[in-house]
Order: sequence, then structure tokens, then C-alpha cells
Amino acid sequence: MVKTDSLHFQYPGGESFNFPDIDLGAKSHLAILGPSGVGKTTLLHLLSGILPASSGTIFIGNTEITSLDRKALDKFRGAHVGLIFQKYHFVKSLNVEENLQLRQYYPGKIRQKERREAIAERLGLADYLKKKVTELSQGQQQRLSIALGLIHQPKVVFADEPTSNLDDTNCEKVLGLLKEEAGLCGSSLVIITHDQRVTQHFKKQIVL
Amino acid sequence: MKLGFVAYKNMISKPLNMVLSLLLLVLSVSLVTFVLQLSKQLNGQMDKNINPVDMVVGAKGSPLQLVLSSVLHIDTPTGNVKLEEAEQIMNHPFVGSAIPVSYGDNYKGYRILGTEPEYLERYEAVLQEGRLFDTSFEIVAGNAVAQKLRLKIGDKIISSHGLAAAGGEAHEDNPYTIVGILEPSGTVVDQLLICNLESIWDAHDHGDEGHDEEEHHHDDDHDDEGHQHSEEEHDHAKEEEHHHDDEHDHDHDDEGHHEGAHDHDDEGHQHGEEEHDHAKEEEHHHDDEHDHDHGDEGHHEEAHDHDDEGHQHSEDEHDHAKEEEHQHDDAEHGHEEEKEITSLLVKFKNPIGLVQLPRFINENTNMQAALPGFEIQRLLGLLGSGVKTLNGIAIAILLVSGFSIFISLLKTIRERRQELALLRTYGLGTRKLLFLVLFEGLFLAFIGFLLGWLLGRLALILASKYIESGYGYVLQINGPDFVELLLLGVTLLIAIIAVFLASTSIFKLNISKILGDA
Repeated sequence: MVKTDSLHFQYPGGESFNFPDIDLGAKSHLAILGPSGVGKTTLLHLLSGILPASSGTIFIGNTEITSLDRKALDKFRGAHVGLIFQKYHFVKSLNVEENLQLRQYYPGKIRQKERREAIAERLGLADYLKKKVTELSQGQQQRLSIALGLIHQPKVVFADEPTSNLDDTNCEKVLGLLKEEAGLCGSSLVIITHDQRVTQHFKKQIVL
Repeated sequence: MKLGFVAYKNMISKPLNMVLSLLLLVLSVSLVTFVLQLSKQLNGQMDKNINPVDMVVGAKGSPLQLVLSSVLHIDTPTGNVKLEEAEQIMNHPFVGSAIPVSYGDNYKGYRILGTEPEYLERYEAVLQEGRLFDTSFEIVAGNAVAQKLRLKIGDKIISSHGLAAAGGEAHEDNPYTIVGILEPSGTVVDQLLICNLESIWDAHDHGDEGHDEEEHHHDDDHDDEGHQHSEEEHDHAKEEEHHHDDEHDHDHDDEGHHEGAHDHDDEGHQHGEEEHDHAKEEEHHHDDEHDHDHGDEGHHEEAHDHDDEGHQHSEDEHDHAKEEEHQHDDAEHGHEEEKEITSLLVKFKNPIGLVQLPRFINENTNMQAALPGFEIQRLLGLLGSGVKTLNGIAIAILLVSGFSIFISLLKTIRERRQELALLRTYGLGTRKLLFLVLFEGLFLAFIGFLLGWLLGRLALILASKYIESGYGYVLQINGPDFVELLLLGVTLLIAIIAVFLASTSIFKLNISKILGDA
């Protein structure tokens, strides 16, 4: 599902990174580990296509995203890639349900109300659909960002440090939810983290 | 979920920002629309009102005042002119038609205008119900007056003296009857109560015997200078409520005495006149005296002779008399010359009239001629520069408001960089993001225009109320006209330009950096 070949990135006038090749099958899980500053987030942004690689190729499914122009890449990302950011990003003027609807907008899955309700139910957000996102607790915001990463059933979902600010109990919970949801949505899951607690949950790991 | 919805939600999530960027826009749009409407309507109404009149002939004074009072009915008249003199103008070969008008009374602030039915034809005023006036004290009411005062056919109204609603002596003896109501004409006629000339003359007869005679007495004053001398005594006597018929008998019968009195007059004239006025106000009775007066042929002859000399001399008094609109129908002499009208509304037969008549009248008569077109143009020329200045200010504000929209959008875009970047990861291309901002800008501009337009109309309603109470004019509250739609277009265009200037950063959005910076 995710396949890279001699991926290289050079910040203009700055650091340069060479990344090991990745080959991840459909519906499988991968943890990319490493300390701060080794280019974990850079790799994740390259993989999700929000940062263009300096050289090398990335395939998601059968699409070589490194060869897409910006417009096509936006479309592809909207339909097939899920992103869960370390810092939660929502559209603050919209409520929880509207944020979910907005995520479904481009892939054209806007009418899948059942899907919204199902995922909200599973993530304990069913009672908060009409709430403003700013009124949610930290945990609810985290679960909403997971929902936003997966509601459109992407081929692959990338999660950036999803557990860094959580205690052990919640770390377990969130990893469980991520894996479960990814499984239910039929998506591959790629987590990048420096959190050693994650290692035991992932068979497949890459250390940068 | 439509993008417009998102844009809308974005906008109302920060109402204070929105209000701030709307404020200037609302202000400028309301100012422009208000000033445009006001000047357009005033111009339109002026044109409609002055077109039926090429020239006004009235008493000497300010020509603008004459036009304002006689044509637009928003000022006090310059005075009265003698019907006889006016008739000379009416018969002039260059004059197509000339309508005498006379006024000086009001009913609840609406002017009662004595004129001829031709006045209504001139203004193309058509009866809505009822009929035209046939005889004195029948009134055809302008539509606006009828509506405002809820007048119906058959209603009787009592006029009061003067042109203002408050104060003034009521003419209770001669109630007017409403016999017709006109259709709305959009001209000054809507604001008038129209009757025949005789009504105005008769109204000031007061139907009071004593007073009538008193006015005769007044005639004599002017005519018979010799009478003056005794008049002085006479007045004093009147003040003491004293009848003194014999004295007058003596006065008029005795030619010799009369002649003698004449000598005295030149010195005593002015004094006597003043006294006499006081007497009038006190409405004294002295009937016998007059019976006698009119019976005396010789006296009349002489009175007439004196009149020509005394005319200029007694001018001041004459004016005073005019203001009180004293009429003297029953007088056997000086009947025509004493009838007065306020002015004459002339339509030329021949364009040469426009060139020659006003100068002729101004130079050779005691009257003045004013050209409404010219006077009003002069007036509007003054107003016009004011309108231009206001419009200039409003357009400057509009540009500033465009700039404020630009700043406001720039600010929102900067504040929402993360959300815009997020939307990029949701699959929305830069073009869609641009639409989002564009929608917001256009929405702002449209709402701003709408609110500004409504505010402008509100101001117009208030102005209309004010103008109506002061001048009897009503402003129309219309839907948007072409210029205003043009203004909407300009507003939207400014918003679009502001959007494109503000949204250049959208194309350079570094999603990775914006979203990655935790």
C-alpha cells in the first residue's frame, strides 16, 4: 500500500535526509521510531504528499504521488490519505459534525450520515456532534482527530506522535482505537513516534 | 456541506471582525444612496413643478423667493400685485396663457390657493372624485392633503390666516367645502387646497358688516386725501367706541371744507394713515358715514383724482393692506384696481417672450418677472456643489471601506492559515480555498451594501418626514435604481479586488510547515 524508493529530502539551504525504503502492505500497521530531529515528521509529510520529495518515489496504492501535480495531489490526498496531527487541527467555526462532514466533502462521501454516526459512536463522540470543537475536552479532541483521519476510509492513515502527551492508560486506549478504526476502515496505519511505549504494539517497525 | 456554508460560518464566528469591516462600507453606501436619491428626487420634483410655468410675475422682491412661493409653494410671497396691472401682462401678445394665483391662508398648514381651473390643467392634475370648484368657497383638494387630513367630499374646513399651521386668525365665517379630490400627480398640486380667486378675496371680507364698511373706509383713505385730516380725529373717536355720523355728513357735503382738508393732508397724511390702521384692527362700526360717501358723486370724482397722486405716497400702507388681503368688492369705484393677486403664472406663446418680457416687466412696471427655470437652476447649482462634495466624501469612504475589507480578509486569512492548510489536506485545492475567501469577501460586500442601502432609505424616510413638516414635500421611497445597482457592482468589484490582493498567500501556503509546527 505504501512503497518508497530512495527517498531524499533537502530543506532549502538546510538539513538533508535520506530515508530508508518502506514497503507496507494493505491494512497493515507500521511504526516509524526515532528521536527528535531525525526527520520523522518530514518523512510523514513526504509520504502524505504535503511536502514534495527532492528525489525518490512514493507509491500509495498504485499511484506514484511523487509524479502528481499539486492539484491532482490535493485530490488524491483528499480521497486516499488520512492525517492525524500531533497538534489537533479543526475548523473552529464549525461544530463536531460539520467538521466531520467537511472531511467527507471532497471525497464525495458527504451523504454518509450513518458513517459519521457510527464512527462518532465508536469514539464516544455521539453526544457531542452538535458541540463546538473548542468545547471538547483534550481526550475528545484527540478522538475527533482520529475520526477525521479515518472517516473517509483512506488507503492509509498517517499519525504524528498520537500518544506523546498521554499517560499510559490513555496511550493504550488510543493505540487500540487507532488500530481498531484503521482495521474497520480498511486502512493501513503508519505511526511516527519517539514514544517507546508504542513499540510493543507494532510488529513492523522502522527506526530512523 | 457547501463551501459557502463554511465561509458563512467562518464569518459569523467572528462577528466583531465582521462588524468592523462592514461599518465603513455601510456608512459609505448609505451616504451615497441617500445623497443620490435626495438630489435626484428634488431635481425631479423641481422639474415637474416648474416646467408648467415659464415666468412668474409678482410683487417686487427676490426673484427666487417669488418662484419658491408662487411655483413651489415653499416660501412666503413677495407681496401682492394689482389684478389690473397683471391683466396688462395677460393680454401681452407674447403670453400664451397666464394664470393668476392668490394665496395667504392655510388649513392645518396646507396652503389654500385661489386660482383658475386652468391651473389644474397646467399641472395635468385629474380629479379622482368629485368635481371642480364652481363658486366661491369650494375646494378641490390635492391628493396628499386629502390623504393626510382624511378629507372627504362634502367636508367643511375653516381656513386660517397666514401660511403656517399654527397661529393666524381663523376665517370662521366662511367655511370652505371640499367638492373634489385630485389624483396623485407627483407635483406641488398634491400639497394644495385649490379654490377660485374669488374665495380668497371673499374670505377676507369676513362677512362682517361693520368690518366691510371699515374696509370701505380704508378705500377712502387712499383715494380721498382730503378725507385724511378728519380721519385723524375720526380714529381717535373710534377708539372711544364713538359713532359720529354727523361729522362725516359734514365732511363730505361741504365742498369747501373738503378742499381745505386737502391742504392739510400733505402734512398730516402719514399720521392719519397709521391711526387708521389701528382703527381697522379694532373693527369699528360707522355705517352711516359710508352710505353718505357713496352717495356723493362729487366726492368720488375728487377721490379718484387724488388717488393717482397719493398712490406712491401711501405705498407702505398699501402693502400692509395687502398682507391682510383686504378686498373691496362692494366699492363702487376702484373696483378692479383694488383686486389683488399674489402672482401670475405665465406660459409664453412665443420664445421671444422669454427674452423680452421679463426685462420689460422689471423695467416698466411695479411688478417683477422671475423665470423659474433660471432661478431653480441657480439654486440647484448651489445645492449641486454640496451634492458633489458629499458624493466625493462618500466615494472616498467607499475606497477606504474597500481597503478595510482587504485588511480584514488579510487578517482572517492569516488567522486561519492552519484551517486553510487543513482544508488542503482534506482535498480542497487552492482554487477552492480562493472561492472560500472570495465568498466571504463578496458576502461581506453584499451585506454591507444591503445594510447601507437600507440605512440610506431610512435616512430618506426621516428626511421625508422633516421636509414634509417643513415644506410639504414627500420623498418617494423607491426600490434600488440603476445608479444604485451600479454602486452594488462597484462595491462587489472592490471586494473582489480586495480578495485577490489578500489571498496571494493562499497560493504560497506551506502546509507542511503550518501543520507540522506543533
